[in-house]
Amino acid sequence: MSSFDYSALSVDDIRSGLAAGDFKARDIAEAALTCIEAADASINAFLQVTPDAAFAAAEAVDAAVAAGKLDTLGPLAGVPVGFKDNMNLLGTRTTCGSRMLENYESMYTATCVQRVLDAGGLPMGKLNMDEFAFGSSTETSAFGTTKNPWDLERVPGGSSGGSAAAVAAGMTPVTLGSDTGGSIRQPASFCGVVGVKPTYGLVSRYGVVAFGSSLDQVGPFARNVRDAALALNALVGHDDKDCTSQPCSTDFTANLNEGVEGMRIGIVPVFMTAEGLEPEVGEAVLGAIQKLAAAGAEIVEVDLPNAAAAMSAYYVIGPCEAFSNLSRFDSVRYGFRDPGHADLGSQYEASRSGGFGAEARRRIMLGSYLLSAGVYNTYYYPAQQVRTLITDDYRMAFGECDCILAPASPRTAFKFGEISDPATMYLSDIFTISINIAGNGGMSVPLGLGSDSGLPVSAQLICPWFEDEKMLRVAAALEREYGAAPIAPSYADLTASSGEPAPSSDLGGE
Amino acid sequence: MTEHVTKADVRRIAEYARIGLTDDELPQMTEDLNSIIDSLKPITEYDLEGVEPTFHPIGDLSNVMREDVEGLSFTQEEALSNAPAKQDGSFLIPSILGGGDAS
Repeated sequence: MSSFDYSALSVDDIRSGLAAGDFKARDIAEAALTCIEAADASINAFLQVTPDAAFAAAEAVDAAVAAGKLDTLGPLAGVPVGFKDNMNLLGTRTTCGSRMLENYESMYTATCVQRVLDAGGLPMGKLNMDEFAFGSSTETSAFGTTKNPWDLERVPGGSSGGSAAAVAAGMTPVTLGSDTGGSIRQPASFCGVVGVKPTYGLVSRYGVVAFGSSLDQVGPFARNVRDAALALNALVGHDDKDCTSQPCSTDFTANLNEGVEGMRIGIVPVFMTAEGLEPEVGEAVLGAIQKLAAAGAEIVEVDLPNAAAAMSAYYVIGPCEAFSNLSRFDSVRYGFRDPGHADLGSQYEASRSGGFGAEARRRIMLGSYLLSAGVYNTYYYPAQQVRTLITDDYRMAFGECDCILAPASPRTAFKFGEISDPATMYLSDIFTISINIAGNGGMSVPLGLGSDSGLPVSAQLICPWFEDEKMLRVAAALEREYGAAPIAPSYADLTASSGEPAPSSDLGGE
Repeated sequence: MTEHVTKADVRRIAEYARIGLTDDELPQMTEDLNSIIDSLKPITEYDLEGVEPTFHPIGDLSNVMREDVEGLSFTQEEALSNAPAKQDGSFLIPSILGGGDAS
């Protein structure tokens, strides 16, 4: 066996390397751990690394390969995968980036994580996030910030910042995140990787700590579109434990190479002139439109007349659902308990104010207010009516196009501490939020580096309900123009030579 | 900025949400909430006469239900494994009626 460039391997490369005997899954796990150790000292994407679980999974893959049964293994055989730390994995802590759950030991494994394991994936650990997924920068984590691999003075985006940064630095080819208002697509954009928020209902949320249950969806990060599609193949489908999850038999890789000829790509003029859209992002998205047109797509303008109300609808619906979901943290069954209280009421209040950080407290308070008698009819009920208007807008738009192309984030990654006002931070998600409101699928696809900042810039593709294969097809066409996502330059060399096949002696886990 | 909530309102909201707020934290929380509530204004300005609400995306779909059959579930020990305090197979809490002693 010769050494291999671990970080450069795609999901297909890993499979073919296993088949050819170039390396074993164990070597891949070793290389991933070496790479995480080297890169994460400066990035802090991982809150926990799980070598024992990774080696156990690798052993199962290697046994299957040795028995000539690689064909029976799922689409992620031997692929290292990291999980956002709101996803339960038996044998790990699931902290949600919060003091509230600092010592919470998972009692079971989330369905999305289990599906990765069932598909042959190697669980490498748990990834940093904004506390309870409330944020757009991963700065609200109780366990330190995660750095953007492209510039360590900048945020990786959020809330799935650890998931995006781990992929951008080449630590793992695939990670999972969750997206309630943009928490996969915005960090994918900031870190220059592919990030997919599937249509609501495609992926089970069982075992993923709930934020906004009518908005939350789980999806993959990867450095190329095909890897993301293979991960989706492993993730989707009905789960008895999440009654919103739908049956699905789509092969998301099936039409990646078909190109966009004859496809109608919708653009939303009001998005392209939105206040706050940085010129370099707008230019890059216009460039992508031109490339798709040159590749044979028909570009059509579509109108989303109520899109402007999405932000305020989201900041009604999201906090109300979060208020309800986070009421379970009672300091009795699990989670942080402030010690020494003689009565339950003061224990509740002290534990919840001590366990939740500032942004979590703000959202809980906001939800508490919005759902109170007299206020409900002013905000909550109208927000759900506005939701109908936004959903109808998308339904109408998709009568005229197959897929919408828009910016993913209005700007490139910002610096730590640059945005401190909550209402300004919320604007990070102006192009992503309406998709969660309507339930459609959306994804970020890298468009290279911004002409001004030199930082990653992305486009967002949005698809009709349960036609996620369409946006992946367009994303694949863009990838042929722009290339797959590169590993952030400072980490490309650091991780390149990490793949030394282990000597035949058993090195053991840990 | 319109004052949607007063400090007294915020105190009441916090009690309802079971979030302890110190007197020092109260002014900032009040300011933050007023600022956020201000940004929700577009919701109140729509003509929504006759528009049905959508409480859940993709409302055309129905819940996928399973058969109501007994299955595996957590043991008592597992269910208690993350409890901050437990006793005799139960969650242990301070007195809720007052006057008592947690022991």
